[in-house]
Amino acid sequence: MEYVSPIDDRTQDAVAFAARDGDLSGKRVVLVDITKARSAEFLDRVDVLLRERGAETFRIAKEIFSRPASREVIEEVAIHGDLAVEGLAD
Amino acid sequence: MTAMHAAVPGFTLPRIDGPPVSLDELLHDGPLVLVFAHADCPTSALTLRRLARLEHGSRLVYIFEEAPENAARLARRTGVAATVLAETPPYEVSRAYAVETVPTAIRIDGEGGIVGTVVGWDADGYGTLLDAVVPDGGPRRKPGCGARWTYEAAAGGLDDLEDMFERGWTDGLPVVPPTPERVEAMLGGRDPTLSHGPVPPAHGEATLQRVAACAVLAGCRPAYFPLVVAAVEAALDPGFNAHGVAVTTQPAGPIVVVNGPARETLGLNSGMGALGPGTRANATIGRALRLVLALTGGARPGGLDRATLGNPGKLSCCFAENEEASPWEPLHVERGFDPEATAVTVVAGDAPLSISDHRSRTPDELAATLAWAAAGQWSPFWWPMDDTSLFVICPEHAALFAAAGWSKARLRAAMFDAVQRPAGELRRGETTPFVKEAPDDTAVHKWTDPERIVLVVAGGDAGRFSAVFGPCDGMKAVPVTREVRWST
Repeated sequence: MEYVSPIDDRTQDAVAFAARDGDLSGKRVVLVDITKARSAEFLDRVDVLLRERGAETFRIAKEIFSRPASREVIEEVAIHGDLAVEGLAD
Repeated sequence: MTAMHAAVPGFTLPRIDGPPVSLDELLHDGPLVLVFAHADCPTSALTLRRLARLEHGSRLVYIFEEAPENAARLARRTGVAATVLAETPPYEVSRAYAVETVPTAIRIDGEGGIVGTVVGWDADGYGTLLDAVVPDGGPRRKPGCGARWTYEAAAGGLDDLEDMFERGWTDGLPVVPPTPERVEAMLGGRDPTLSHGPVPPAHGEATLQRVAACAVLAGCRPAYFPLVVAAVEAALDPGFNAHGVAVTTQPAGPIVVVNGPARETLGLNSGMGALGPGTRANATIGRALRLVLALTGGARPGGLDRATLGNPGKLSCCFAENEEASPWEPLHVERGFDPEATAVTVVAGDAPLSISDHRSRTPDELAATLAWAAAGQWSPFWWPMDDTSLFVICPEHAALFAAAGWSKARLRAAMFDAVQRPAGELRRGETTPFVKEAPDDTAVHKWTDPERIVLVVAGGDAGRFSAVFGPCDGMKAVPVTREVRWST
């Protein structure tokens, strides 16, 4: 039986995780604050742990936690980071 | 177990966690055991759970008569970790191996010959087939179920309702299969390629054809389609923040309020039981919008829809305003639209809370009852709340305000003023940064602004039960209204 699909097949492609090389030394890590309660607190602790492992960190904040990051924020992440950590909250 | 020697049919099937693989490739590493199963069969589940403990050294290859995502779910549910292949209609591999019952296990030797078969759950049979000791515990034997392709053979055609479930084109209830003829009728000559843009969170494109497919799935009549399209347009307005509403752990979803003449022509219920079941237009228009978000937008519960609990209204929530029983301007007129226009307003919110008040005799008393019912919204000590509370005022309550000559603005102001508490009493558990910093005696309102209170009238003539929908907090999701366009 033929049907009209409600689904855009482009949303069905699996996106693979980027490779993890396991070494943070000398890496530039962007810490993305989603601006929800206690996101910064979480990232403060992650920041310390990353620096202890030789990483260089850079902080940036989303405009509002409940919407996707703007293109400007994403571009900043790409410019400043080899890796990124997004802080959840609550 | 039965033993035989025969050349086996070749096949290539998709893996749930990798590229397709052929039988030749699988046999390259030596003998193996094919296990056919599907998710609707309890004996399959029993067998898979038992086999999950025998996988080591057994070279099991599972063939699930399921779409890949359902096959992956079955594998997770039963704990199997060996190679899992997904077979979809018309189940050519199951047919080629004459698998009429699931589970069926077929052992294939290194030369491609069948050397043993077990049908159903048979602990001793599997012990021989796998040359393993099957631990005690649970039944030793259990009959299997019909393989999926045998449904088709028995019914004279694939069960199209079951097919919808297999494809995942559902909200958990049966749907109307979107055949080309039904979708064409839904479109009514409109351009199927017209796009309303990407639908969050997965950004599938809302072509009119996909929206029509969702309307068919939901059970809409073609006459409802312009309302569905207007609701989709409204929900995709950036102000509604469909992304946040779709993915949040909150239970919120879209609530659709219909105003204007089409309420009557399409048979929308604004009266008795307006928020309940029983009216096709209400139930299916709201459902169609939900399906657009879940299927085209990819916000599937448990997937990108991360709701901790959800709420039953996320299946569908649509009602019409009882403009005839209202002493006030209808919602769409209040929001700047022509009284003769039909319009839909989408509001982000969760389950309705019923508010009984059969005793108030003054508008001030009743305003206080309505407003205080919402005092615990979001969280009892979360004041002020900067989000929409949608109140549905029943006709008898509305009549009391009408008799007192109260406008909607006056009621809104009275409700806003009625609900205040000193900050010191609110500094418990989950409270707002404002309350944390305010002096103890600061009077704090429940809402940041009277405009956060949205009022509509609906319900039957008798009974003094109004309702308030819970908010969608922190999303900056504002109500959005769109006029319904009837022309193609």
